[in-house]
Amino acid sequence: MRLLARLPGVGEKTAMRFALHLITDAALARELGASLVELPARIGPCERCGNLAELSADGQVRCSICRDTRRDPTLLCVVAKIQDLLAIERSGAMRGRYFVLGKLLSPLDGIGPEELPLRSLVAIIRSEAVTEAIIATPPSVDGEATALYIARELSGLGVRTTRIASGIPHGGDLEFADQITLGRALEGRRRIGE
Amino acid sequence: MTPSLALRRVSVRGLRNLARVDIEPVPRLNVIAGDNGHGKTSLLEAIYLVSTTRSFRAERAGEVVQTGQDLATIIATVQDGLVVREQRAIVGPRVKSYLVDGKRPDRLVTFATLTPVVVFHPGDLSLVTGPASLRRTLLDRVALFHEPTSGDHRQRFLRALRERQDILERKGSSAAELSVYEELMAREGALLAAARERAAERLTEALTPAFTRMAARELELGVSYRPGGTTDSDQFGAALFSHRAADLRRHTATFGPQRDELELSIDGRPARTQASQGQQRVLTLALKVAELATVRAARGAEPILLLDDVSSELDPARTGAVYEFLRETSGQVFVTTTRPDLLVTPGATIADRADWHLRDGALVP
Repeated sequence: MRLLARLPGVGEKTAMRFALHLITDAALARELGASLVELPARIGPCERCGNLAELSADGQVRCSICRDTRRDPTLLCVVAKIQDLLAIERSGAMRGRYFVLGKLLSPLDGIGPEELPLRSLVAIIRSEAVTEAIIATPPSVDGEATALYIARELSGLGVRTTRIASGIPHGGDLEFADQITLGRALEGRRRIGE
Repeated sequence: MTPSLALRRVSVRGLRNLARVDIEPVPRLNVIAGDNGHGKTSLLEAIYLVSTTRSFRAERAGEVVQTGQDLATIIATVQDGLVVREQRAIVGPRVKSYLVDGKRPDRLVTFATLTPVVVFHPGDLSLVTGPASLRRTLLDRVALFHEPTSGDHRQRFLRALRERQDILERKGSSAAELSVYEELMAREGALLAAARERAAERLTEALTPAFTRMAARELELGVSYRPGGTTDSDQFGAALFSHRAADLRRHTATFGPQRDELELSIDGRPARTQASQGQQRVLTLALKVAELATVRAARGAEPILLLDDVSSELDPARTGAVYEFLRETSGQVFVTTTRPDLLVTPGATIADRADWHLRDGALVP
């Protein structure tokens, strides 16, 4: 129970429910246990981008996206966490590859630029002929700060740095968009035909 | 005339000393009577909280929970024109949940501006004489109703400010990431300053006539917004850069809208220090009347007015304030008083006024 409660989003009560259920369902407990034992040996972070990767027998750890040769090598999308990568993948709009930061700048939590994996990012951009880095960190204060910082760090590398737009959700009418999103979309307006 | 916006029913559970209170207010004047400490102000606080997500006397909404309870719940049925909605606030030390007709709103600000409420409570008596933060809060409330994004700019600015100050103090004034946070402060701070400037203009337009109407003799009122930052984001960024050493030394950010002031003067002299008490009182009332007017203009509906403890036998001037407000609004009003008998409302018929009596946190007949 103590171990279960260490999982994100699981409190004491939920941990208790899980534990009691596992006690009554022995088959599930065994199956879950076996999968958990295998997990660290089979799945780990991709050594290039930080995405989830299945570990291969020859010890090479590359995720399916980094191994996919049809991906556009000149486009690199920088995201904060794996969930964000998966969300962008679902959109189908990203033809290039990714780089997962794993964290955002957050001085009040003691996370400064030295905690960001910028050296790996710069190495990838240098060695892989990347021409555009798309910074897709969230529009929060920390996400913006991280985007600005990365853009500055990449400025000498001859790579075009872009920021994803924020604005109106598609399929919705303007009249139903929430005020802040609509306000931000207006502030971030752009010229038609550019 | 029946106001277009009014609370039809209010239920409070577990808020301060109110274990269980249900009232069905009348559309116009609701008088809440009772001795001090029996829950009058708590009832106004409940109404304010379910309308704005904030308390006017606690720093955090979670502080209002009754001792021994986990949560406070307030449910209000609101008549808004032809539409009736239910707003619900459930707050506790670790919970904050606001629902409109059972659904979570997109954003808190959507909820907080749905039912406009203006409160006048004893703390407001220092609006003219007290710290500048009180007048900034007034500007922010006006801004929020006209431009909901202003609240977002304010929050983001203050967050970036805290982060920059933290970096300054831990790493010194040459830390590489300082400039990023300064850029964010400059961007958000300039937008906030612009919103406050517009709010000050709107407030001034309503304040001048209100003050002239209420002042005993002809006095010249001066109102000016003195920004602590600037509305130009480039200048803002440059100023932050040059203030680094000073901000480190003084342990506080010295440039930006966190130092804005709304300067008030009467006959050319600062109202804060040099006006008479009578003039300060009239100016305070006029400021609240102006807030009422600007929120009314933004929302196209008469805000609900909450008047806390404004009548007192020791101070007939405060009872007078109630009449000033009743003249200024045609909307729904809630008044708390220890002496309902002093609150004679000329012209009000029985249907226009309802009296409630609270004792030990419960309604008594």
